[in-house]
Amino acid sequence: MVSLFKRIVGGKKEAEVLSKIREHLSAIKTSCEIFYIALEKNDIELLKEVCELEKMGDTLRREVALLLYEGAFLPVIRADLYNFAEVIDEVLDTLEDTSISYTRVARELDPHIKEMCLRVAKINLKMSKYLISAFDALGEDEDLRDKTIKIRAYEREIDIIKNDIIKSLARVEVKTYWEGKNLSDFVEDLVEISDYIENAADLIQILNVSLR
Amino acid sequence: MIEIASIIASMLIAFSIGSNDTSNSFGICIGVGTITMKRALYLLGFFVLIGAVLQGQKVMKTVGGEILHVNLEILVLSLIVSSILIISSNVNKFPISSHQIIIGSLAGSGLVFGASINTMTLQKIVTAWAISPFVAFFFSILIFAVMEKTLSRLPVFEIEKTLRILILLSGIILAYNIGANELSTALGPVVYSGLMSPLQAALAGSLLVWAGAYLLSGRVIDTICRGITKIQVYSGFAAQLAAGLTVLLFTQFGMPVSTTYCLIGGIYGVGFLKGLSTVNIRLLRNMVLNWILTPSGAFAICYGIGILVLNSGS
Repeated sequence: MVSLFKRIVGGKKEAEVLSKIREHLSAIKTSCEIFYIALEKNDIELLKEVCELEKMGDTLRREVALLLYEGAFLPVIRADLYNFAEVIDEVLDTLEDTSISYTRVARELDPHIKEMCLRVAKINLKMSKYLISAFDALGEDEDLRDKTIKIRAYEREIDIIKNDIIKSLARVEVKTYWEGKNLSDFVEDLVEISDYIENAADLIQILNVSLR
Repeated sequence: MIEIASIIASMLIAFSIGSNDTSNSFGICIGVGTITMKRALYLLGFFVLIGAVLQGQKVMKTVGGEILHVNLEILVLSLIVSSILIISSNVNKFPISSHQIIIGSLAGSGLVFGASINTMTLQKIVTAWAISPFVAFFFSILIFAVMEKTLSRLPVFEIEKTLRILILLSGIILAYNIGANELSTALGPVVYSGLMSPLQAALAGSLLVWAGAYLLSGRVIDTICRGITKIQVYSGFAAQLAAGLTVLLFTQFGMPVSTTYCLIGGIYGVGFLKGLSTVNIRLLRNMVLNWILTPSGAFAICYGIGILVLNSGS
């Protein structure tokens, strides 16, 4: 009887939406990994892959929007799911922006600042992993709060590192306006990634209570 | 000729039930995208027929065989007046219960043409109308409480998946009730006056319900779909299932009761659980007024027309 209902009700579109969102989240994790390695090894060529993943993310977001428009999921959670897809796309956009701004500052980056940026990149990677498991918890009998609390704690850690980076940046001597601006843009973009991941985690919390 | 007019009137009521009440059963399913309109129509046709064939005879017997002995004069007057009132109220988007119109018309016509009315059965029916919204009220509280203890504890995507199936299930129960209760109320007088067999009436009536849904229900469903995001699916489902189960329960006793009133009872039940501030007192007052005026209005119209017919004849 249940399988007959499932056949009538469908559920294919919903499964497709979830699979695309998971793919999108996985692209974030991969981008964070690539960025961390590229920063550590100073390998600018690697960052092209982040740009490719960002394009893929745009396509995934559009496909999720289309499936939701076609009627996947109950209307009460459609808007929250689309907002989630948009926010995780912002994570990838910001990762791409950070990669591009890094290519402009890679040569002049102070080793001490770079070391702090590496710490931020590593935390971003950890946050992206927690974001995946938080999203998976929406479909499984797992503790969601534990994961979102960790994401918030990591975000606070990044805020502290950000302050240290800004203090160190103030001591760096820049030769031109553009050199200073590029450096500032890079740091701003890098620390913004965690803000978007935290926003995505907040949306997961909203999704979790939306039908109860 | 006069027999054919009665059958046509009864089929027009069936058509009107289809055009208007499909929204009660599958409106939410279509609105939230659980099933397409086409699939909903197949399901509606199938379950209305099943309801009319399997359980329709109980209500048919009460309405056509127990309230009064239906002769041709009573049949023609009550069904023509009922069909005109039901269709015009649907056209004017004025919500009234087809059961109350039919029973009121039958009683008015019966009284004017000297039929002996079984007041005990009539009393039972009126009691059923009065208590069915309260039964739905308590059912919805019970269903909502069970959902809070079970469904609510599942992961959110599991809740969503289960709700989609449950919404469809309650839609099917309501479609079954259309056949077993609502349609059978309209068919009872025709069957018990010997113009059609129960099976013939069930088949023809279900076909007309389906035709009404196919041709005219789009407008009503569209109205529901446009406001669907505002509907709390979770609590809406509890109210809908409570209404479906209540009508099903009363069908067991052969009592013709209104799904719409039960639905309102169910909604108040959920509202009561969520806090009295959600209860709309004005709507409640209109419902009570409607509840009194609909059957008494149909009664008075049939009685008045009957007097005119008798006077013109003499």
